[in-house]
Amino acid sequence: MIAWAGDSIISSLGFTTEECYRSVASGQSGIRLYSSFMGLPEPQMASLIDRERLADSFAADSFAAVNPCSGGYTALEKAAILSVGSAAAAAQVDLSDPDVLFVFSSTKGNVHLLDEGERQAGRDHIYLWYVARLIAEHFKNPNEPVAVSNACISGACAQLVAMRELESGQYGCAVVVGVEMLSKFIVSGFQSLKALSPEPCRPFDAARAGLNLGEAAATIVYRRVDSEDEVSSGIALQQGAIRNDANHISGPSRTGEGSFRALQALLRGVAPGDVAFINAHGTATAYNDDMEATAITRAGLQATPVNSLKGYFGHTLGAAGVLESIISARALANGTALATHGFKRGEKEPPVNVTDKNTHTEKAYCIKMLSGFGGCNAALLFKYVKEKSNTCRKP
Amino acid sequence: MEELILQLKQEIIKVLNLEDVKPEDIADDAPLFGEGLGLDSIDALELIVLMEKMYGIKLQDPAQGREIFKSIRVMAEYIHANRSK
Amino acid sequence: MPQAIKRYSCVTGRSATVDGEAFPVAAEAGDGDEGKFLAALYRALKADYPKFFKMDALSKLGFLASELILRDEAPRFVPREDIAVVCFNRSASLATDVQHQAAIQREDSCYPSPSVFVYTLPNIVAGEIAIRNKLLGETSFYVCREWSAQQVFRMVSHTFCDGCTRAVLAAWVECFEGTCEAFMMLVEQQDGLSGLPFSVEQVDILYQNTKLKLWKS
Repeated sequence: MIAWAGDSIISSLGFTTEECYRSVASGQSGIRLYSSFMGLPEPQMASLIDRERLADSFAADSFAAVNPCSGGYTALEKAAILSVGSAAAAAQVDLSDPDVLFVFSSTKGNVHLLDEGERQAGRDHIYLWYVARLIAEHFKNPNEPVAVSNACISGACAQLVAMRELESGQYGCAVVVGVEMLSKFIVSGFQSLKALSPEPCRPFDAARAGLNLGEAAATIVYRRVDSEDEVSSGIALQQGAIRNDANHISGPSRTGEGSFRALQALLRGVAPGDVAFINAHGTATAYNDDMEATAITRAGLQATPVNSLKGYFGHTLGAAGVLESIISARALANGTALATHGFKRGEKEPPVNVTDKNTHTEKAYCIKMLSGFGGCNAALLFKYVKEKSNTCRKP
Repeated sequence: MEELILQLKQEIIKVLNLEDVKPEDIADDAPLFGEGLGLDSIDALELIVLMEKMYGIKLQDPAQGREIFKSIRVMAEYIHANRSK
Repeated sequence: MPQAIKRYSCVTGRSATVDGEAFPVAAEAGDGDEGKFLAALYRALKADYPKFFKMDALSKLGFLASELILRDEAPRFVPREDIAVVCFNRSASLATDVQHQAAIQREDSCYPSPSVFVYTLPNIVAGEIAIRNKLLGETSFYVCREWSAQQVFRMVSHTFCDGCTRAVLAAWVECFEGTCEAFMMLVEQQDGLSGLPFSVEQVDILYQNTKLKLWKS
């Protein structure tokens, strides 16, 4: 078990966790239709970070203004640095301390730099390890960061790395940062897979027609704890598991094999009745959502409320695991199971209990699920530990 | 038509990396998917790209492919009737 | 419980070894062409897995390294949740990324290939090995500045903390701009130690020695 010490989100819905959470809780989506999009001929639905606001915020941020990178930072690096800076401030952690480890999560990093028109930027920025180092060095952290690139479950893997590093006593604090920015590279690829929906995505809905892509930078700061007593009035990451479908590199398993087994691993630490909600991957592709419903049912969690946040943020790939864990943890602490934006009750409903509105919950646990290409699946178990002397929930 | 069928077989072997398969190994009327060539969902998407790139035919809905990619002959007939290049 | 390195293998664009011994591939195979050599090695392994030819170079390297290690394991292809696949490299999937970028570079002729795009994720190599061998355990991919026995040791050791993992196929698999190499170990948790002790020093010695031998050959 490791304790949550601070977090931060930069996304289409805002530049702080609070701003993003409030938008989600009030049912707003950051997904828009962009008529001209990164050199692609067709208009695209996407959830994008406001680049102007990003540049302005970066310039105005005292932490960010110190700029050791001579060639300048890319938008992705700026978003990550801003996000890490405010999460560290919230957690009151000195990032230059050798007891702090950086864990970086992204699927494609600065891949846009491969474009012929972008080659002027420093070539090293295309390497994920370089971006990870750049961010850690920006905050004068002396340790070699860990860079995870495990498709769309990267954000969960990064948290699992943090848990293992902290629990093994190697470090006292871990900064998990997930970041993804969109480019023609990514969008054209998903287009070729016919995975994109021309409409706002509708996770778990019978009429769903594919996913929307999104951008985000999200950071969680974790600290080592020796017992639950030290987590009073806060969130703890209690357990996590990664399992493979061993089925197909891009098609989800029909039996939900990997997801089911990942959930099963978590259920060693919690009874299904104590789970407030499951935040599924819920990309809104036909196969993913069916697969997850199958896995959830097989794990005996079919009565547990299930939601997806893709309708608010789109699919933010390597950032999704971090971003959606933050929103889910905040909802758990708030006693809320959030609605699934885009899902409507109808005749053909999924076999699981998908939320269509925000509901109150008193339960202490939530589960985050993720799945990705390469057949990988992950599940994380979070616990909200109430204040010992007072049972009131902290908003 | 026979010429188009042969050309299609050669192209499919090339783009789907069907090592050790020769055009004469693919029967004109044999099902492309399921048993036989061992093609999967990514192969189906790759065939959609092939249709567009080689013959100027745009398939928006991957489900359409299921009908068109039944066999080499069905595919060739569809291309013959709809090609724009 | 102690962990030991049961077997290890190495594959480059012109040679292959298992436990430090050369694996025989027809001498003229490849003629210096890495792709041809990997295909010749595949045939020499008699793997009978045509999907091999659909893989990108990174996955081919990892796949062949895993075949070299697992070919004598029995029983094979039985679903196993207690075996993890953990891979590392420097350049992620950049070799394939460059291919996808080339396909979309020109606006008047933009035909991205779905079968190339799916390989623009480095962890696909771990997935390919899991699929081939029906491994339902953890699969992970980490990107590092350079080969680091310490990093490999740490991450692999952590994987055993899962509570389910009893063995890890751990690989450094790099393919970009002239480098083409896979170094893989089967690390097992076992009561009585057989094989080499799993330690940072041992992992580094195996990698460096195998590399040295391959350069000399």
